[in-house]
Amino acid sequence: MYVLQVIINGILLGGVYAVLGLGMSLSLGIVKLTNLAHGEYIILGAYASMLLQAWLGIDPFLSLVISVPFLFFAGYLIQIFLVNRAMMSGSEPALLVTFGISVILKDAMLLVFGADARHIATDYSNITVDIAGLSIPLLNILLLLLSGVAILLLHLFMHKTYTGRAIRAVSDDREAASLSGISVGHTLAVACGIAAATAAVAGLCVGMKWTWYPSSGGHYLLIAFVIVVIGGLGNVAGTFIAGIVFGLMQVIGGASYGLLISYIFLIVILTLHPHEALIRFLDRMKSTDRQKTANGLSGSGFVTVKTQTEFKSEQKESSDAT
Amino acid sequence: MRHNPAPVKKRAVLYIVLFLVLLLAGITGFPGNNILRYGFRIFLYITIGEMWNLLSGYAGMTSLGQQAFIGLSGYSLALATTKYGLPFPLGFVSGLIISFAFAFVLSFLLLRIDGMYFAITTWVVAEALGTLFMSMTYVNRGAGMTITATPYPKIGVLYVMALILCALSLVTVVELLKSKLGLAVIAMKDDKQAAEATGVNVKRCRRIVYLIAAGFTALAGSLFFLNKGTIYPESGFDIGWTISMVFIVIIGGSGTVAGPIAGSVIYVLLSEFLAHYPGWSNIILGALAILMILFCPQGIVRLRRRIS
Repeated sequence: MYVLQVIINGILLGGVYAVLGLGMSLSLGIVKLTNLAHGEYIILGAYASMLLQAWLGIDPFLSLVISVPFLFFAGYLIQIFLVNRAMMSGSEPALLVTFGISVILKDAMLLVFGADARHIATDYSNITVDIAGLSIPLLNILLLLLSGVAILLLHLFMHKTYTGRAIRAVSDDREAASLSGISVGHTLAVACGIAAATAAVAGLCVGMKWTWYPSSGGHYLLIAFVIVVIGGLGNVAGTFIAGIVFGLMQVIGGASYGLLISYIFLIVILTLHPHEALIRFLDRMKSTDRQKTANGLSGSGFVTVKTQTEFKSEQKESSDAT
Repeated sequence: MRHNPAPVKKRAVLYIVLFLVLLLAGITGFPGNNILRYGFRIFLYITIGEMWNLLSGYAGMTSLGQQAFIGLSGYSLALATTKYGLPFPLGFVSGLIISFAFAFVLSFLLLRIDGMYFAITTWVVAEALGTLFMSMTYVNRGAGMTITATPYPKIGVLYVMALILCALSLVTVVELLKSKLGLAVIAMKDDKQAAEATGVNVKRCRRIVYLIAAGFTALAGSLFFLNKGTIYPESGFDIGWTISMVFIVIIGGSGTVAGPIAGSVIYVLLSEFLAHYPGWSNIILGALAILMILFCPQGIVRLRRRIS
């Protein structure tokens, strides 16, 4: 029974970890930017919720109405004025600029808020719910719901709105997107703004679940990396599953060694690519299956409406072939 | 490349004279302890800056985790002198050996990746080491360790050691870049595939560069902590070491030998000045570095060349 309870808590916390990875997944997968300041965005979100709760006396969940737009604009402005310029000269200058932003934000928060540990407490922080003999913290359930809603909203935004489609088009092929009238700089900045806005949600989760310091950003940045690397870049569903896997890993690894395990896990995945080997293996299985069942069905006839990016990539392929 | 031998020889004489003057200043203690302390820090920052520059500016291996070697060598020094009662030079040697061994093993993982993944992985390795040292009773966990030496070396001795280390690192970098290996390293940064196609063993080159950088960074780390006297996981594996390396190389000029020298002098003087405004130093250094990357990516060394 105890084991089951631990596992359920791990899964519930998975939602929080998924939100931590969400923004990183956007910036790495879609903007192709390693944003080393993402951890500081998360901590900034936590401080924003804490201050709004203290000043206005509102529920921390309500504070998102203000902290999400605030971080969106912060992320947008930083991207459009600083990072976009550096991205033009390569990925390493951009990496170093975000590193600089991370250092600046960290020390600025230290100056403004002091080095004390902070926590967002509410009346319902310590309530547990009994379901079928298991006692589950209400907070974990609420945070899972919140992260589910955030992930769903982001998914809908990316697939159903013009801006979302523009972001994905820019991610696929910058040149083609620009040729079809999308402002690349603005779109990238919007994507980074959204990544920062998810950090506001993540910050609230971090603040309500754990305590944080101005210097905690690096810690959450690395967790975000682990989630993204497990879940795959720009893949929303994968991020959610990765969050749950990571949550279970933390619960099983315990407080002191859970983090070390996840670091080692990240190093192994980044350097040895076991997951890619697995994907290749699965692909090979799939392609042999396909060869057995279907032949001659591939190619034209199925895709009736081509987006410009698809068209361009096909052209590229055909020119490569000739 | 054709070059004129006479000016090179003249310049070499100039450098040797400069080295001897600086050495003499340290031995006699003539400039006073404050100046020597500045010199000590400048020489060490030149060393770690040159090494980061070798990695990032020449070999295209931007690392955010060189503090791993500073922490490892600092802890080796503390363990050797305090736990095992060895004299501090043996602590230096043990730090060097441990860092080399760690870098060698790590290189098998790190050389499989490049670009931002290399940067992230090196950082994660350093963070993992910091977390590990935080929870290991062998190194007193978060309580830190002291470094003992009798008699404790005076600032003059530290200065001379830092000067020699700095000169060695500069000679190593210059000679390396002139050698066949150095040309291969530069070719590798410009175009990895083309370099590989013309017969450069990219993995071997990258490993050698990584090991050299690890070794010199470790020695500089030992000297830093010999001066400080205590080491904690947060100070040894501090990301701040990387911040200073990035700043020094970006300000001075990435991919030049003179860049980190200029960058170190500016860094040490600026951080000394900013010590009057506690909490602001990293903010200002970070802002300066960002401005340099955006508006003057070549650094001040090439800026001067462009004006003249």
